[in-house]
This record gives sequence, C-alpha cells and structure tokens, in this order.
Amino acid sequence: MNLELTDEQVALRDTVRRYLTEKASVTTHVRPMLDDPMGTTSEVWAGLAALGATGVLVPQEYGGSGMTMVEAGVVAEELGAALHPGPWLSSAVAAVRALTRLVTGEDAASLLTGIAEGSTVATVGPLTGPRPTADGDVLRGEISALPDAAAAGVVLVLADYGSSTGLFAIDATSAGVSVTEQTHVDPTRKLFNVTFDDVRAQRLASPSADDIGGLVDDVLIAYAADALGAATAVMNLAVDYAKVRRQFDQPIGSFQAVQHLCVDMYETVELARSGVLQAMWAADAAPPAERHLAAVRAKAFAGQLATVADTAIQVFGGIGYTWEHDAHLYLKRLLGWSAFLGGSDKYLQELGRQLAMAVSS
Amino acid sequence: MDFSYPQEVEQFRKELRAWLAANLTDDVVAAGRQRGRDPDAFETLRVWDATLSDAGWAAVSWPQQYGGRGATVLEQLAYAEETTDARAPVPLNVIGMNNIAPAIMQYGTDAQKRELLPRMVRADDIWCQGMSEPEAGSDLASLRTRAVLDGDDYVVNGQKIWTSLGHRADWCQLYVRSDPDAPKHKGISCLIVDMTLPGIEVRPLVTLNGDADFAEVFLNDVRVPADALLGPLNGGWQVATTTLSHERAGAARLYAQLEVQLRDLVADLADSKVDGRPVLEDSATLRRLGEVAVRIKYLEVLCQRSISATLHGGDALGSASLAKSVWAEVGQELAALAFDVLGPLGGHRRWSDRRLTSRSLTIAGGTTQINKSVTATRVLGLPRR
Repeated sequence: MNLELTDEQVALRDTVRRYLTEKASVTTHVRPMLDDPMGTTSEVWAGLAALGATGVLVPQEYGGSGMTMVEAGVVAEELGAALHPGPWLSSAVAAVRALTRLVTGEDAASLLTGIAEGSTVATVGPLTGPRPTADGDVLRGEISALPDAAAAGVVLVLADYGSSTGLFAIDATSAGVSVTEQTHVDPTRKLFNVTFDDVRAQRLASPSADDIGGLVDDVLIAYAADALGAATAVMNLAVDYAKVRRQFDQPIGSFQAVQHLCVDMYETVELARSGVLQAMWAADAAPPAERHLAAVRAKAFAGQLATVADTAIQVFGGIGYTWEHDAHLYLKRLLGWSAFLGGSDKYLQELGRQLAMAVSS
Repeated sequence: MDFSYPQEVEQFRKELRAWLAANLTDDVVAAGRQRGRDPDAFETLRVWDATLSDAGWAAVSWPQQYGGRGATVLEQLAYAEETTDARAPVPLNVIGMNNIAPAIMQYGTDAQKRELLPRMVRADDIWCQGMSEPEAGSDLASLRTRAVLDGDDYVVNGQKIWTSLGHRADWCQLYVRSDPDAPKHKGISCLIVDMTLPGIEVRPLVTLNGDADFAEVFLNDVRVPADALLGPLNGGWQVATTTLSHERAGAARLYAQLEVQLRDLVADLADSKVDGRPVLEDSATLRRLGEVAVRIKYLEVLCQRSISATLHGGDALGSASLAKSVWAEVGQELAALAFDVLGPLGGHRRWSDRRLTSRSLTIAGGTTQINKSVTATRVLGLPRR
C-alpha cells in the first residue's frame, strides 16, 4: 500500500508541466489551435516527443520508455491541465495500447517506433458501436467521432472481419479515405467522421473481445486522468481568484457561501483523483475485472466532474461567462469527456447492474 | 504505486476473519442494531466487548501495555474492514476508546491508566464524554459548565447535552470552564467524573426515531475531587484534541460501513418489484445505485490515500475531514435511495428508520458546514472573515 508518486514520476510530471507552460500555454498555443483541425504544430509535437511524452507506453526495444499507465496518467493529467489540443491521447495511448495489447510479433514494430519518435501520429476506432467491414484486405464503412483523424498519418481500424474482428492499419492518405471534421462541444479536441470506400488495409491482428475491452479501459482511464488535470486547473484558478477578487470591501473567498462552493469543487476533484489513481494502477497491475470496473467508474463520474467547471464559473461570476476568460474552455473539455463514448448515465447503470450481479451471485 | 496489502497484513486479516467467523453470533449482530431501544441488547453487547477484549481483538491500535496489540496502521485498516464487513457491532465504548483513552494515556496517572483503560475496553465501565451544551454546539469552546475549586474539590454546575450513553455511563470525561476570565479556548479543563456522584442527574434524550442513545446530563453542585483533573489546569482544549499518534485507520470504518449497507440494500432490492417488474431491472434505480457505488469506492481510496500519505510521507491535505463529509453525504443518498424504492415498509422498516437517522450524519461530530468552512480556510487557504 503505497499510493505516492515515485521521484521519477514526479520528475516526469514536472518536466511535462514546465514544457507546456513555456511552449504550449492556453494563450500561446491552445487558443490559436481552437479552429485548427490538426490541434498541434509540428514544433510543439516534436517538443513533446523529445521529452519522451509520445513514447511513455512504447516498449524500450521500439525506442520508447516502456512505462505503465501510471506514468501515462501522470502525463495525461498535465496535458489536461494545459487543455492541450494535440493528438497525444490518440497516438501515445490509444494507438500504442492497441498495438501492444492486440498485436503480437514484429508487425507493430515500425509503427511503435514512429509513434515514440513523434514522426508517426496514429488514432484508433471505433472503440464502441458499429464497425466498418473488411473483405480480405479491403475496408469499407465509416467511423463517427474519431479523434484526431486530421493529424493522424495512420488510422488503426477495428473492423468486422468474417465472423471475428480485425485490427487494420490504414495509411490516412490512401485513396478512398475521406475525413470530415465534426464540430462538437469541445474545441480543444478534434473529432472527425471518416469514411472508407474500398480502402487497402494491412491486417495486424484478430483481437478477442476481452483484448478490445482492455484497450477501451486504457483509453477511458487516460481520458479520465486528462479530465482530472483540467478540473484541478480550473478549480485552482477559481480558488486563487476568490482570494483576490474584492467585493463589499473584502475578498469574496472570505464569504462562507463562496468558501463552500470552493470546497464542493475540492471534494469532487479529490474523489476523482482517488478514482483515477486507482484506475491508473489497475490498468496494468489488477485483474481484468477490477481494471474494467475502475475504468467504468471513472467514466461514470465524468458528469459529476464537469460540475467542477460549472462551479468555478459561478465563483468567477460574470467574467467567467466571457469568451475571453479561459473557464469555458475547461468546462468544454470536461463536457467533452462526459460525452465521450456515451454519457455518464449508461456507465452508472452498468455499475448498478454489476453490483446487482455481484450481490446475487 | 501499489494498492495491494503486504502479506503480513493479509495474514492478520485472515486470523481475524477466522476468529470472527467462529465467535460472532447473529444475536450479537442483532443486538448492535437494537441497542438504543433494548436493555437486553445492551447487556449482550457488553458481553461481546469483553469476549473481544479477552481474545485480544479489541482496541488493536492501542499499545500492548494497555490491553491493545500495537497493530500497524495497515493492520488497523484491515481490522476496520473486517469487523465492519462481518457486521460486528461498534464497541459500546467506541468514543472512550478513540477519544478519551488517548488523553488518559498521555495525561493520566499510572493508577488511572492501570485501572480505567482495561475496564473501558472490556465495557466493564461505560464511558461518556461531556462536551456539547445547549449553548455550545458547533461553537464548542464557548461551553459554560463551571468548575470552581473549593478546598480539595471542584464544585461543578451546568448542563451537557448530546452525551452518548450518558444515561448508562459509569464515568464521564467532562469539559468544564475553569477560568471564566481567560479567552474561551484557554479557560477549559478536563475532569474524569464518577457518574454516581451526588448532584448528577441524567435524562435520556430521545431522538427523532424514538431511540435513546444520547442523554442530557445536569450537574448541580457536584463535588468532584481535585485529583480528577486530566491534563493541565485550563489545558482542556489540548486534552480534547489528543489523539493516538499511530491511530490512523479510523476513517476505514466509514467506507467499510457504507459498503456493507450498499450490499444489504442490493440484497433487499433483489426481492422487490415495482409495478410487477423487478426493481433491479429499473434503469433509474440502477443509475442511482451506480452513483452511490462510485462514491463509496472513491471514499475508500480517499481513506487509503490518507493512510499512504502518513506511511510514506505524502500529502494528506485535509483528506480526513473530506472523508467525513463525503461519508455523510453518501450515507444520506443511500438511505434516500432505499426509502424511495422500497417504501416505508421495505426491509422490515429498517430503511425507513435509516432514512430518518441518516439526518444525523451531516450533524454529529461536526456539521458538514463547519467542516467545509474549516477545509476552506485550512486546506484551500481562503481568507477568514
């Protein structure tokens, strides 16, 4: 029982935090990228790769640092706190875990090497819902709400393949691939509708439902860590503001009504942090059933987590309702997480159902 | 990062679980639920506390010299989880063991430690704590019960309220105003008072569901021997905040208790139908169960984080008071869910009773509002008015 970060994990966190503060702040990077479907510049992406952020989960033999989801969560939290709009979750977590969880042998070697270097950006889909169909090595169909497709040079597609499921790699520039941006609540995350019209694909694996479940859990856990970072950041902004904003000749943070709003945010953030820590650990260290529950819980709590930004806006008052203020960007990030792969209700019900099954058995 | 327990803690857990399985009877479990209204239940619980103590399974966090077993923090955590999971009743002297005994260990005479502590653990003596007064609730330091030295005695006058088990107690750890001229935190002293002394009158305080677990204690010219003073004269506030330096796992009872309640609730729901359909197929009910389940699990991890921080030098910022607030809120949500779905007769009226008694969760031991104000200033660093 030791839930503290190691010195190495703290150093990783501080390195990423410093880089984002200096090179990719909300003002200098996030806002300019709001209308850019790439979500990143090649300079910022190369910088993240140079820090090792893109290779956190890539095994060492392919040029990564071969770390666990705990370290990935540490990085994700920092990126979330900075509202980072680049394709890190898609490429460094979803694609890497798809390749390491689902693919055996050397088929994934060059992709993993490229992702770790930052020269390859990849995304994976669909994680839920209907899948495209593969006939031999030809793919047809569409994926909706696929993250980071414009930035991705490689799309990893889970497709119906005969009576099973195949994981296919597609060069995003291939003939027959068309990518259309879908605007949604969160402009710091880029989502796309991607259609495949008889596209040549390379089959990498035929994963089982359990393997795919593990991948989805990993993605949910990393997104949850990102959202935790965003919620923590907007809470800190609001608490700091309450200490200096004066009305009635005193800081508004001296009023109990405002203090209690701040504590409500703190309570929600610390509950979420508890869940994320346990999930980050469970992703690699716990049995699959425990990992899955941890991931579902994190997603089920997403709606509650979004209230942190709602409350922060209330503490800011009028200024928090403006475009100029960053509060709305955090709210949108948290609402995007809340809506990702289906709203919280579905996941809350799944938890209730699991509980019912556990007690009856 | 590692959420698993070391092997020696698992061994401790296994031994305790086996002992509970062999010794904890249904009668004792039932008595734990009836103690506020059934005198026989109270006696059953006394016998149980003695059994637990004689077997070495009471007050495990205490040093061995006082009848404990010097359990490590993680063993304490496992102890709280296992006893709660087995539905073992909370010890009758739980307040004494958690809040009074540490002060006796620190400030008491050798005779007090030797005579009082073992009898407290066995429930040979029942203890109460005289703190709250009608005019001193959340603002505890404004208490007005007076103690005036007269020869070899303190003469005590005043009134206490919300005294748990006051009507059954043999001893009271009484907080009194010994210096009315000092600032309010600095004029308080602590006395160990024999409840049979002349001038003490106790009336059971009946709470909203008809139970009598609390009492009002009236003190009228009670002559308390001066050597009953515990700790320094006018140093009562520091006595009140004494805790066992290694007692860290108290919060574990909070989540373990909610986990048991949640399991009991789901078991009761499994037999229930609404409009002819099983309740556990109703999406709204499943959703609410899910909400409660997430928060209970997160409360568990919050408590574990606090323990990990004390073990490994991490940052335990405010997690204890946070855990208390969350426990209270989730306990109320769970009770409301049970009542809403099962109705007033569900689960042999148990949930209906809980719906009522859960109101106390956000009041007892410091209201949620006081708790939030303390967290705001001490943890978040917001300015005081």
